[in-house]
This record gives sequence, structure tokens and C-alpha cells, in this order.
Amino acid sequence: MQPATVYVVDDDPEVLAATERLLVSAGMAVSAFASSLAFLDSYDARTPGCLVLDLAMPDLTGLDLQRLLGERGEMLPIVFLTGRGDIRSCALAMKKGAVDFLTKPVDQTDLLAAVSRAVERAAAQQRERADRARIENALAVLTAREREVLTQVVAGRLNKQIAADLGTREKTIKFHRGNLMKKLGVRSVAELVRLAQRARVEA
Amino acid sequence: MGWIDFAWPMIGGASLALGLVFLLAWSRQPRRYGYAMFFVTALSVAAFSIFELRMMRATTPGEYAATLRWAHLPLFTLVVSVVGFVRLHFHAGRAWLGYLGCGLRAVSLVLNFHSDVNLNFDQVTAMLSVPVWGGEHIYLPAGIPNRFAIVAQLGNLLVLCFLADAASELWRRGGAGARRHAAMVGILFLSLLATAVFAALLNLGLVRLPTLLSVAFLAVVVSVAYELGWEVIAAAQLAERLRTSEERLQLAASAGALGLWEWNATTDEVWMTGQGRELFGYRADEPAHLARFLEAVHPDDRAAVERSVSSSLDGQDRDFLQDFRVVLPDGRVRWVTSRGRIERDGTGVARGMLGASQDVTARKDAEREAARQRDEIAHLARVAMLGELSGSLAHELNQPLSAILSNAQAAQRFLARDPPELDKVQEILRDIVKSDKRAGQVITRLRSLFKKEEIQYSAVDVNDAVQDVLALVRSDLLSRQVSVSTELATELPAVSGDRVQLQQVLLNLLVNGCDAMADAQPPRSLNVRTELASGGQVILNVIDHGTGIPVEDLERIFEPFVSTKPQGMGLGLAVCRSIVNAHGGRLWATNNREGGSRFIMELPAIGP
Repeated sequence: MQPATVYVVDDDPEVLAATERLLVSAGMAVSAFASSLAFLDSYDARTPGCLVLDLAMPDLTGLDLQRLLGERGEMLPIVFLTGRGDIRSCALAMKKGAVDFLTKPVDQTDLLAAVSRAVERAAAQQRERADRARIENALAVLTAREREVLTQVVAGRLNKQIAADLGTREKTIKFHRGNLMKKLGVRSVAELVRLAQRARVEA
Repeated sequence: MGWIDFAWPMIGGASLALGLVFLLAWSRQPRRYGYAMFFVTALSVAAFSIFELRMMRATTPGEYAATLRWAHLPLFTLVVSVVGFVRLHFHAGRAWLGYLGCGLRAVSLVLNFHSDVNLNFDQVTAMLSVPVWGGEHIYLPAGIPNRFAIVAQLGNLLVLCFLADAASELWRRGGAGARRHAAMVGILFLSLLATAVFAALLNLGLVRLPTLLSVAFLAVVVSVAYELGWEVIAAAQLAERLRTSEERLQLAASAGALGLWEWNATTDEVWMTGQGRELFGYRADEPAHLARFLEAVHPDDRAAVERSVSSSLDGQDRDFLQDFRVVLPDGRVRWVTSRGRIERDGTGVARGMLGASQDVTARKDAEREAARQRDEIAHLARVAMLGELSGSLAHELNQPLSAILSNAQAAQRFLARDPPELDKVQEILRDIVKSDKRAGQVITRLRSLFKKEEIQYSAVDVNDAVQDVLALVRSDLLSRQVSVSTELATELPAVSGDRVQLQQVLLNLLVNGCDAMADAQPPRSLNVRTELASGGQVILNVIDHGTGIPVEDLERIFEPFVSTKPQGMGLGLAVCRSIVNAHGGRLWATNNREGGSRFIMELPAIGP
């Protein structure tokens, strides 16, 4: 799997360069931007990544960018860096899912730890996304009948009950159930339920 | 002895006395040639009266003829001096008429002394005793008239024409004075006409009367004396008025503690009133001249005073006007303001300077004290404002420190690698130096704003000052989400001022602009524009896009303790205005047509 890119956004060129260097020195893949807009221009949602974001910037502030990404459904983990953090901004950032909120000048230990967590989170998100994609691909090959059966099984109903509901015989349901488990690559009902939960299949 | 023996000498005496009066007057005012002419006239009449008396008393034809011969001399001088008087005193009459008349009289005088007897007679045959009024007897001649007498009569005629012409010219000039002069010349004309006619008749033996020429001549003398007397009276009145005016001037000068002086450029002497001497610390008997004056001027002001004097002398400046310090002999220093005006002769060459000086030490002290207090308040306001901005200012320092820390730690990591990445470290160290310098600049700027020191006027580039202040409040603007756009005029001339105080004004205007937009929705933009006015002033505009200022408050906001902000002391703008005024500029506010307000600072540019 591709390692997460650390996007650094800061309008102060000196701070931007220094932060970038520190992260590079720790072996991270870093991409630096002088403004939120420059970042948005080149950001590709398909590549995994996290943000090290300055709070106070002209045009689009750090909080503005966080809100914008949230509205777009991009769940990029964000580490905020600020010269003068006030409690309100900090609370707002954390509530919206920021990984950390650090005050400049920031020590490498704190920064690297926070960024590592963000990278971690990005990787997890990436794994989850891959997982879900795989399941969704599998679910896509189920027939309409198999999907109905799946929903009922996950809801914890017995073959007999499902057969009654769908107006068919228990044997037919058993057949569908065997087929769909084969298609989804699961061997037990417990596994099937877990998978369905991950794929958010509703009863 | 009869009355004639008394009357004629009296005529002569009176005439001589009047003449001597004006001889004295002429000796005092040598340029008044009219006085000299009159003296000659009066002397001639006096002499003639004696000759005339002797002629009347001559018993033999020989005695009469000789006397008459000599009597032509004062007659000639009389005519010439009358013509001279009219020309020189009134500048009236056709000169050639007068000169020709005098010329003919001169010719007749030559003929007179060349003839065997005199100009009037070829031969005096007998003396006739004639009874006159008062029981007196006089002698009149009988003889053969000399035909050359016509030359003298022709001369008389020309002189009469000259006088008539002069009288009419004076009359035409108009004005009370000229009309009086015309009347006077008219009397001269009539008197001389009468004598000329009388003399002619007498010569032809057509009348048998005493020769009353002296009486008519006395009329001439009296009328001229009357005219000149007017002048003496007028001069006396003028002197009186002058004295009164001088007294008033002295009174005004001493009431205003003014020292009056006059410098003569030719002799380099300076005349001064007592007050003036006291002002410059001169002793009462000390001779004053320009070098001594400059010596008294404080060394620091001397060059400026010299420049000012020479530019007034060159005619570049109309008046000499200068405030300067004078060092008194006891070492005390006194502020003096002087105003002088150059006196020029007809060709424009400076003759000297006339002026007045005043002690303004008390005013200067008060001004300095006021300036000191103003600077004190400005400093307090500045410190208070910097206190409000401290968060933002700390941030400005925080940025480079932050960059330095991250760079240094990155460098440690690059060095720890195997092999160490020295290229990277090199690059990092360069950046650290840069950031460190930046932090240093922030501190320098801050320190200059916090510092309380003597105001120093120097050439300030307003554009530079704008950039400096913007760098200081950058993060404050950021956190208030205000973006600043600048339009700075290129080739803006410098202004003379105290850099720190001018930055304080800018800082204040920027913070005010931000406050004005605090309630507005982002994006909030502030525009700073500099320009050169057509009158040569440097203009700075700070334009916000807030709600604007109510018209009735546009002036009020510059009053102390008037604030539109709940936490404001209301000193900021009042201090700003006093700073700008002290720089010889103006600061005011208007509302933009498209909304928001605009603060405009106008400062005089330093000339090229």
C-alpha cells in the first residue's frame, strides 16, 4: 500500500520550509503549499494523506479549509499548527475531528508524534476504504434474491422464517444462502454478519 | 530829510531781511535752489532801492546818470533770479523764453556799461525838481533817450511772456498748491509788468512821478516770501506730525517689546533703539554693525540667518523673517524673532534694511513645553496601542522562532543520518540566519516604537513606513481576517518628520480601519494608498469597507476622549491629528461613496 503523503499548508514561507524539512528528515513524504487554495488546486482525494495546517492564513483560514473538506466528505486527518491558539478555535477544530492542535514553536517530538498519528489514521482510513470497496464489489455481483436473503440473515432470521416471508421453500433459501456466502468468500454466519456490518447493509 | 528817505531804506532793509532768512534756509537745504534764487532777488531789490533813492535825490545830471548806470546791475540780477526762481522752484514756464529774456537783459547790461551815459539816456540834460505827496521834492531827469533801451524792454517783454506762460501752466496743473503757485507767479507778472511800463513811460518823459519801482519790487519779494513761508510752515507741520508719529511708534514698540533697527548697507552701520540694543545684548555705546549682529546669533542658527539675509538682499524673499537664538554676553540664550524689509534705491540696489525684533523666548519655551507634552502623550498612546497589539506582535516574533526551531531540529536529524546530509544542513543554516535576522528586525521595530526619546526629524519615505507598519501588524490583520491591499505611488518624495510618530499614525489608522470592519462579514479588505498631490504634498489614504462614520462625527472623532469603541480611550485619533499637525500636515476623515470610511493624511513633501 502507498504511504500517506503529509500535506503542509502555511502562508509563512520560512515556517513552511522548516516544517517541510523536519518532516522530510523524519522520512515522511511531504508536499508543501503556501495557501489553502494552492493545496485545493492540486489535492487528489484518491491518494492517502494528512494535513499539517496553519490556522491563520489569508483568503482561506485553516478552519475554513477543514470545514470545506468536511463538506466535501474528505476525511483528511488534520494536525493544526498555530502561533496564537485560542481555546475557541482549538475546540472547534477538535470537534470537527482534528488529530491535534499544536502551538508554534513546536518541538519535533510533539509534531512528529502528531503527524505519525495522522499518518496512521490516514492509513487506517485507506485500509477501510479498500476493504469497503472490496465488499461493495462483491455485493455488486449478488442477485436481487440473494441480497434479500442476505438482509434477512443479517437481521438474525431463520431460514424457515425467511422462506415464509418470501413465499418459497426453506430449501431454496438454503441454496441462495450457500451461493451468496460463496460469492462473498465467508465461511460462517458470524463472518457474514461482520462483513455486512462493514458494508453497512441495513436490515 | 523826508519820508522818502525813511521809506526807501526800509524797503531795502525789509527785503534784505527776508532774503537773509532764506539764505539761512538754503544753507541748511542746499538742494533747494529756489531759496538761493529768492535771496538773490531780495538782495537785488535791496540794492536797487538804495540806487533809486539816490537817483531821486540826485541834483546834477552827472550824478543821476552814473547812479542809473549802476542801478542796471541789480535790475539784471533781479530779472535773472526771478526767472531762475520760477524755473527751479516751480519747474514751470518755457525755459527758452526765460533764458532769451535774461540774455537780452545781459546784452542790455553790456550796452549800458558801453554807452557814455547809460542805457536809458544818450544825454541827461537837466534835473527837474518835482513836488510830490507829503510836501516832498524829488528830482527827475530830462534828456535824450537812448534808443538801445529797446533791448532791455524787449528782454522785459520776453520775461513777462515767460511768467504769463508759467502762471497758466501752473493753473492748468490744478490742485490747491499749483493754483496758489499760479496766483503767485501772476503777482510776479503784474508787478514786473507795472514796473516795466512805468519805467518805459518815465524814460520817455511822459510821467512826472517819483520812481516807485522799489515799491513794486517789494511786492515781488513779499509775494515770493509768502509762498516760501508756506513751505516753511508746511515743513514745520510735517516735522510736528513726524514727531507725533515717531512718539506713537516708540510707544507701540515699547508696549510690544519691539527693538527697532536700521542697517545701512553702504556704511554697514546699524542704528538701534535702546530696546533693540538690550535685546541683542549690546552696550549702550557699542557700535553696531552686521558682523557684530551675526556674532550675537547662536552658532546653530547663524547659517540660517545668514542665508535668510542674503536671500532677502538678492530679492528672492520680499522680507527678511527669521526666528533665531541670541547668545547674550552673560551666556544666557534668548529667542528672537526678526522681520526686516530691504530698502532699495531707484536702480534696485539694496541701500539697507529696516526692521523690528522681538523677544519670543517665553513663547518658544511654551511651544517647546507643549511639544514635549504632546510627544509624551503620543508615546503613552503608542505604548497603550502596542499593548493592545501585543498578541499580534508576539506572533510576529514567534514565526521566525518557530522556523528556526524546526530547521535546527531537522538539521540535527540530517546530521545524524549515515552519511550526514551536509548539503541539506548548509541550506538549513542559511535559512536559520535569515529567520534570525527577521526576528531581530521585529525587535528593532518594536523597540523603536516603545522607546521614548527626543523627536528626531529626518527625511521619511512614507511608502517605507507603510511597509514597516504592515509587517508589524500582519498577523493581527490575519487573525482579524482583514486583507490589506496597497497602492504605493512610485517616486514619492520624502517628507520631513519623526519616523516613529508617523508610523504610530499609520498603525493607528490601520487598527481603526480593522475595528471599523469588525462587524462586517469577511472578506474584509483595507486599502492603503499613497499619492503625490498636485500641490506637492504627500497623501496617504487608509480606506476601509466598514459601515462608515456618521457625518456629524467626522470631525468629532478627532477630539480627545471621543470614541466609538466600547473599550477605546478615545485618544488615538486625537493624538494622530496632533502628530500630523506638528508635522505641518493635515489629517481628516471622509466617507466613501461606495461605503466605508477613508482617513486621509496630507504631509508637505521635502522640496527637491
